Amino acid sequence: MSNQRFRVNTPTVTHETIDGEAVIINLDSGNYYSLVDVGSFVWGLIEKGASASELRNVVLQSYQGNDSDVDRGVEELLAQLQQENLIVPVDGTGALDLAQLELPSNNGHEKPAFNPPLLHKYSDMQELLLLDPIHDVDDAGWPKPNPDPAK
Amino acid sequence: MPTAPVDISLNEQSSRSVEYFQSVYDLFKSSQQVTGPVERNFRIGGYLIRLSFSGEALLSLTRALEHLAVDDHATPDLTICLWDSESTGQRMTPRPWQEDDFLARGVIQGYNTERIYTAFQHGSGAVSVLDKERNLAVFWAPDAKLPYWEYGSPIRTILHWWLLSQGLQLVHAAAVGNSTGGVLIGGKGGSGKSTTALACLESDLSYVGDDYTLLGLDSGPVVHSLYNSAKLNSDHVQRFPELLPKVANTERLVDEKALLFVHEHYPSKVATRLPVRAILLPRVTGLPETRWKRVSVAMALAALAPSTIFQLPRAGNEALKFLAAFARQLPCFSLEVGTDLSTIPPVIEELLAEIDSWEE
Repeated sequence: MSNQRFRVNTPTVTHETIDGEAVIINLDSGNYYSLVDVGSFVWGLIEKGASASELRNVVLQSYQGNDSDVDRGVEELLAQLQQENLIVPVDGTGALDLAQLELPSNNGHEKPAFNPPLLHKYSDMQELLLLDPIHDVDDAGWPKPNPDPAK
Repeated sequence: MPTAPVDISLNEQSSRSVEYFQSVYDLFKSSQQVTGPVERNFRIGGYLIRLSFSGEALLSLTRALEHLAVDDHATPDLTICLWDSESTGQRMTPRPWQEDDFLARGVIQGYNTERIYTAFQHGSGAVSVLDKERNLAVFWAPDAKLPYWEYGSPIRTILHWWLLSQGLQLVHAAAVGNSTGGVLIGGKGGSGKSTTALACLESDLSYVGDDYTLLGLDSGPVVHSLYNSAKLNSDHVQRFPELLPKVANTERLVDEKALLFVHEHYPSKVATRLPVRAILLPRVTGLPETRWKRVSVAMALAALAPSTIFQLPRAGNEALKFLAAFARQLPCFSLEVGTDLSTIPPVIEELLAEIDSWEE
């Protein structure tokens, strides 16, 4: 796993995490996403500037799972998040401060089981953004009204 | 030979945005000299907003706001000037931007600053500009033959921009309620939002809105009524046949959704402001009964935020944060909407009573 760090692709991407569920919106594409459980945990670590290898180590430390499952799960999620332009690679060398993290296993209970993180993608709002109403312009240069507004 | 810079400075963008606003406002003033002024005052979200028209051509845009009309001639908090070229004979200034500058959601690149907001309304051809510093906005349309949805939710873009700066967030959600409070009903088109709100018209529940409403967080979560218009699709017309004679645009139903101005037919049903007790996410099940079950706050946020943000020019991070802060304060439920529409209002009333009992 590499030492590559990432950042959330703001301002194109806006996001909120509530009670361990992340809601992520790509304002350019019209897609939105949700992450729960391990996925939301990883998202929080990305926000804090963790590198890929730090992510993997913290997930291994926090969840019950074997190395190869965690490696694959984290790598696949990072690849998906990049593919959807939700995160972008950044330069940076500072180490993640583990003491500052709220780990799922910090509360004295047994470590939760590692389930491969899934990025849930929703494209049902795209039509609102991807209306291409500029069919033609009139003699003053204004776009002519869309004859079939999708509202 | 030096080449022109690709990026213009913020100062230049700022001054040309102000100049553009002024040119559109000056044209409005000229058009109003021809037709004479017509003014209407409304109290929206607690703010006095004056609509100043050039003549009467666009006056029917006020039908959706009529439940908020006030006879108050004090200095308004916001003035919105409305004019069209066809009825006034006043041509609009040629657009100073390029075709590439029409961005998603109608935002005009290079004419949006901290102070000036500019958007083009795809579909109607209308231009909305707001000068936040002067609390002054202009809505221009080529003519008064605007699409039905512009009459259903008029000057939405300007209201969204200005009210947000007053701490109120326009949201794509319905709301109904009673004396104990209201429920916000979120979800994209077709989710059952309007069905739920319309089913309450013949019940003891008040109607706040069925498409766009206004949220505030001053003293806990509150919902303000914005438009009293209901947009009915063919499914609604079948489910609520009693509403068909009340539809405003019956002659154009081949091309348009049916538009019903609730205030004109149920004036006592429209509540202008309610404290919000819960967020409901309707889901049509095909089962006869209506039921509810608890869902996560994040699920409610995912239902409210994208369908709000993707319809409003310049909405983004600020809207998501507002809606998250709003939703965090409330229990959220999935409302499994039954085919027996008469079961919807009593279930909402039961839910409100149950939440009320939690708080005692």
